[in-house]
Amino acid sequence: MLQVLIQGLLLSGLYALIAVGFTLIFSVGRVLNLAYGAYLLIGGYVYFHFAQTLGLPKFAGVALAGIFGCAMGVLKYQLLVKPLKGNHVAIEISSLILAVFLQYAVVFAFGDSSKILLPIIPGVERVAGAAIPYSNLFAAIASWIILIALWAYVRFTHMGRAMQAVSMDAKGAAISGIDANRVNMTTWAISGTLGAIAGVFFASYTQLYPGMWVAPLIVAVAVVIVGGIGSIMGTLLVAHIIGFLEVLTSSLIAPELRGVFTMVLIIAILVLRPQGLLGREEL
Amino acid sequence: MSAALDIKGLVKRFGGLVATNEVSFSVKPGESVGLIGPNGAGKTTIFSQIMGELRQDAGHIALDGTDISHLPTPRRIRAGVSRTYQVPRPFSDMSVAENIRVGLMPDSIWQMIRYGPNHDRESELALSVGLTKEQLQRQPSELSMGDLRKLEMARTLATAPRLMLLDEVFAGLTVNEIAIMSSLVQSMRDDGMTFLIVSHDLKALEPLIDRAIAIDQGRLIADGSYAEVIADADVRASYLGAA
Amino acid sequence: MGLRWYHYVLWAAFIGGMFVLPEFVSRGTLRTLIFANFLAIFAISWDALSGRTGYISFGHTFLIGIGAYTTAILTKRFGVPVEVSIPLAVIATMIGGLIVLLPALRIRGSYFALVTLAMMELIYQLVQVIRPDLTGGTRGMSGLPTLTRGAANGYYMSVSLMLAIALSTWLLMRTRLGTALWAIGMNEDAVAGSGLSPTRLKMIAFLTSAFIAGLGGAVYIHYLGSIAPRALFDINFVFTIIVAALIGGAGTIVGPIIGAFFLTFLLEYLRPWLPGAERYMVYAGLALILYMVQPKGLASLVTDAAARLRRAP
Ligand SMILES: Nc1ncnc2c1ncn2[C@@H]1O[C@H](COP(=O)(O)OP(=O)(O)OP(=O)(O)O)[C@@H](O)[C@H]1O
Ligand SMILES: [Mg+2]
Repeated sequence: MLQVLIQGLLLSGLYALIAVGFTLIFSVGRVLNLAYGAYLLIGGYVYFHFAQTLGLPKFAGVALAGIFGCAMGVLKYQLLVKPLKGNHVAIEISSLILAVFLQYAVVFAFGDSSKILLPIIPGVERVAGAAIPYSNLFAAIASWIILIALWAYVRFTHMGRAMQAVSMDAKGAAISGIDANRVNMTTWAISGTLGAIAGVFFASYTQLYPGMWVAPLIVAVAVVIVGGIGSIMGTLLVAHIIGFLEVLTSSLIAPELRGVFTMVLIIAILVLRPQGLLGREEL
Repeated sequence: MSAALDIKGLVKRFGGLVATNEVSFSVKPGESVGLIGPNGAGKTTIFSQIMGELRQDAGHIALDGTDISHLPTPRRIRAGVSRTYQVPRPFSDMSVAENIRVGLMPDSIWQMIRYGPNHDRESELALSVGLTKEQLQRQPSELSMGDLRKLEMARTLATAPRLMLLDEVFAGLTVNEIAIMSSLVQSMRDDGMTFLIVSHDLKALEPLIDRAIAIDQGRLIADGSYAEVIADADVRASYLGAA
Repeated sequence: MGLRWYHYVLWAAFIGGMFVLPEFVSRGTLRTLIFANFLAIFAISWDALSGRTGYISFGHTFLIGIGAYTTAILTKRFGVPVEVSIPLAVIATMIGGLIVLLPALRIRGSYFALVTLAMMELIYQLVQVIRPDLTGGTRGMSGLPTLTRGAANGYYMSVSLMLAIALSTWLLMRTRLGTALWAIGMNEDAVAGSGLSPTRLKMIAFLTSAFIAGLGGAVYIHYLGSIAPRALFDINFVFTIIVAALIGGAGTIVGPIIGAFFLTFLLEYLRPWLPGAERYMVYAGLALILYMVQPKGLASLVTDAAARLRRAP
């Protein structure tokens, strides 16, 4: 029982971090970034390359992953989202193509087989018969710190408040002199950074392999759909629902089914309550 | 004889804003009624509720004595009401003829497949609103605002309505185009069409209507002959307040 | 349906050309052509729903999968003859798809894409655990009855099916139904405002799409003689289908066919240089550039040129 609780908490923290970068883009830019999973993928491999293959310090690896993710977010906004000017179908489709491109770019550079990431912090703590790797503990704590920092950023900085304004009412924000282009680009940069760092943690939880972008994308999508958009608190709450659902399913029913309830939840919510559990302005 | 359109106690809220506040009025068959009010008064919102594009929070809408308050939009159109939009929104990649074709389509999917388009009817409709034969193959992006409004009219007419709701038909038109549009409405009135017309251009509106209804901030403030309504103190105040 | 003389000529030339093709190519090329034919069928199926109405389906392999698994289970586990199991598979696809996706069709825009994406992952996970004695679990099934022997026969079968589907879909989409579906892609509210029920139209598009997907999936499985869940419910498989339809030109019938052949041969010709899965990198990169440059696809390059010729005096 305690084991489920601890595992659920750790996984949920990570899921919240994964989802928050995705919801950020969705609420500010109204874009479903189907290439979001690819940030995690690239983040994981950048860390692997620098920290494990080249043997740089681990924290430098994480930082480099973040920098790569940030660059990817900005590039994607400049080269793909901006030229397609609000054509949502086109942005979604090209994002998907981009994700597949990146997946095979990774295959090209690192090969098809999956890699094991060495734990960021080695060692295991035993709590009530459950083995908790320090690495997972670290990932969860880091996720929480990042989430709180993000919350403070959105709340208290000028740029953060501009983001809020754009997400509530893009036209109104433009009228009151907010530079939507800069806000959007900043959002894409933050989203990319968060995604890539989440990728390092996610890969150390599971495995590093070229197809690993789909599962986190679905988690992020589920959080958006169930929780509605725009609120960091809603993201946190739903990330915990999904995290605990998965841990419970895999420990009580069958490990292979761990994702099933997430999917059922997405489908049921969309069909029965299209405005989301916690409400959503736009549909 | 039951009214062509009968609205009772219509209410629509957007969050805290009451866009339609207990509005009731009716339109007799063959009558033409002007719906006036300052910007944001709630005119378009009433149209959207009549068409079922927005659901009312309370109240009833009846067409020729039949309650249509809960029918989906397509069923209301089949029941004989149709509207134009303040901002014309044609099918952007289709030619003028194809745009009209969509309006002419039958309800039954089988008939849609079985029988080809009625090109004669398409060009007849286009000509009747003042579009030319050559314009039938044009794309909407090649049309002027005046011609786009004509296309809106043609698409609306294609669904064979008995009651037409016209939203700002004169906006963005030249003096010449306004004259053409007016005579078009006049001739349809002569043929017995029932109208509910929204317009800010009161001069152009006046000759087209039998009666006027004024609303402000979602509430109906006057209902009577054009002269009565325009002389009404509340109406004058609302327009002045808006200006 | 407004058929003109050149329509007959072009279709006759296309069909004739496809049928004499085996005389001129090697057996290896023939096998590539077979895969191109099946990909074209799936792309036409996707296009009948998504290309026209703009409702992007990421779950199309779900439909193909129902068709494929139904006939595989019926023939392998219950000894049902192929002539019976394939029509049953098509019916199962239409019904199964309808039950699952009918509620989804009420959902607007992007969210439809998300439901279908979730649906695909869900089915993939379920196939492996529910009744593995029937489905063969993760390993799938092999030794299914095959419809043809030899590359030439396989080619004739696949090309006949592809052409029959292409021609009938082309004819169907030339009717006013096609116009109405296309209108949904542009402005769904205005379609409702013309007195047509978008939900009903989408359902018809969906059933057409499911019919083609179920038929294609079932026949494909009996061409391969085996079935594996990871190959079917793979995001890359959906991706290939979508990209084929898009780079060919969504909302047309020739587009998906052009796209399917282009992609299949591109992947085949890349093989000597890039033997592994990296080939997909080149093809995704190319697809991305093509899509950004011309979202209407390769087919529009042809039609634009034709239109320019016609307009020139
Ligand atoms: N979908 C909506 N959500 C929230 N508020 C809305 C919505 N549609 C309209 N409103 C608000 O309802 C009020 C009435 O709007 P409506 O468009 O009906 O006015 P109108 O009389 O047609 O004005 P105009 O003359 O400018 O066309 C306005 O304050 C508008 O901002
Ligand atoms: Mg209005």
